[in-house]
Amino acid sequence: MQQFLDLLTLPPVQRSGVALLLAAIALPIVGVFIVGLDIVAVRFAVMHVALLGIAVGFLTGLDPMLCGLAACAIAGAGVAPLAQRPSGLPGAMGLLMTFAIAGALLVLSVSGVNATSAFELLWGSILATRPVDLVVLAVLAAVIHLLFWRYRRPLALLMFDRELALCSGVPARLLMLVLLIVVAVAIGASIRLTGALLVDAVTILPALAARNLGHSLRSMVLLAVSFGFAGNVCGFALALALDQPPGPVLVLVAGAFTLVTYLLPEGAFNASTAARQDDDRDLRGAVPADSLRQ
Amino acid sequence: MTGSPQPVVFRRVVCRYGRSIAVKRVDLTVSAGEHVAVTGANGSGKSTLLRAVLGLHPLAAGDILVGGESANGTSGWMARRRNVAWVPQRLTPGRFPLLVDELLGSAIDCDVARDSAGDLGVAGLLRRPLHTLSGGQLQRVFLARALGCIAGGAGVLLADEPTAALDFAGQEQVAAMLAALPATVIVVSHDRAMSRTCDRIAEMAAGRLRIA
Ligand SMILES: Nc1ncnc2c1ncn2[C@@H]1O[C@H](COP(=O)(O)OP(=O)(O)OP(=O)(O)O)[C@@H](O)[C@H]1O
Ligand SMILES: [Mg+2]
Repeated sequence: MQQFLDLLTLPPVQRSGVALLLAAIALPIVGVFIVGLDIVAVRFAVMHVALLGIAVGFLTGLDPMLCGLAACAIAGAGVAPLAQRPSGLPGAMGLLMTFAIAGALLVLSVSGVNATSAFELLWGSILATRPVDLVVLAVLAAVIHLLFWRYRRPLALLMFDRELALCSGVPARLLMLVLLIVVAVAIGASIRLTGALLVDAVTILPALAARNLGHSLRSMVLLAVSFGFAGNVCGFALALALDQPPGPVLVLVAGAFTLVTYLLPEGAFNASTAARQDDDRDLRGAVPADSLRQ
Repeated sequence: MTGSPQPVVFRRVVCRYGRSIAVKRVDLTVSAGEHVAVTGANGSGKSTLLRAVLGLHPLAAGDILVGGESANGTSGWMARRRNVAWVPQRLTPGRFPLLVDELLGSAIDCDVARDSAGDLGVAGLLRRPLHTLSGGQLQRVFLARALGCIAGGAGVLLADEPTAALDFAGQEQVAAMLAALPATVIVVSHDRAMSRTCDRIAEMAAGRLRIA
């Protein structure tokens, strides 16, 4: 125990702890967007886009990391027009990934940059978190929360049905554009910060768990953040206690939480909603649905 | 605030799906406050025609005017969609849950939408996700939302088979509700109660429109 507490006093451990907490409150929301838009392949696509950006950075002598993030933002904006077709986005992600891999390999080869060094820049490690990384994460977290809480009604409509959103006066095209840019940049930055493996643990796994239990966009986001938080805290503590690398341990812990939600019987979580429904009926004094239909 | 009913004019409207033509040079003038029922065989282009009014399907030729104006550009379409309440024929089942209350909240006047949900007997379902409703309940919720849009200023109602999933009492009730609506109404319906309460019946056959 003493040894465990001693570990917590080390600055790198503290920094990675803060990074994981920041990630836990923001990235699961991105995960909910990803699941809602049915673009789980986005993380692979974005990873290769970031690699392409980094390669361009090496080639031009600009900051490779910034180039990587800029490439993510451009790619996010670039696929947005494809979202106008109902099934356009999931397919677009596969296409984007293929293009990005090819582009990255070509640019790396042309520039003579060693592919491994480009990859190394991309594959971060949570224990190597620098103070500047924390700033990036904090800004990202703020933007994501602002986007969600400010626009959650239009977002809920947009993810439910694009046409319905359009008919309700939601500027669907603009909102989708912003959404895709935020998703792409968040994924790109978190790959860099937490390593590719951890992106799933803090982004997609909590969202999948939340989808199994939530009934609305809002409840899903709250559940996803709770799952992300619980997974990160437990996983990180366990990794320190066992003296093992945090990445794999975190993924296993978050994965176990998610697995449990698949095993719960469907509707196990509905009891509270059903009770609330009856409240609604009483409060409004409305006629129960069935009596009018006789 | 209630808007005033607006005329809807179709001028030689043509809609295509790739090479096949779903709507063939349709001309129709619906004056302000008039109620028109559109009938016709399955696949004759009724839904496509209504969706074109909202810009959910592009026009290959011709024009559609609401309140004397055709819609252009993003802001033009925004104004058009605000002006036209819509009851879709079917819902693409979303991957994502949306609560009944959130759907009603997207009406221009959500209070009227919620009250109408009470009138239509679905007030007890506000906290339920849409995908857990029965077909008839879902149609009642969409009708309530459309009534909220009309109350909030939309001057036109487009309803695509709004009573197809309703029980007999529901069909009578909705027909009476729409008949009393202070708006221009174009309703696709195969239901007698509905066509009786309309001023005119138009029939579509293989993409062409005929006034009966
Ligand atoms: N997405 C699509 N792609 C290709 N063809 C389509 C598509 N949607 C509709 N169609 C075709 O266009 C024609 C008109 O369809 P539409 O939905 O407007 O018919 P409808 O009159 O509303 O029929 P129903 O009474 O069954 O609702 C049909 O022949 C249909 O098969
Ligand atoms: Mg139809």
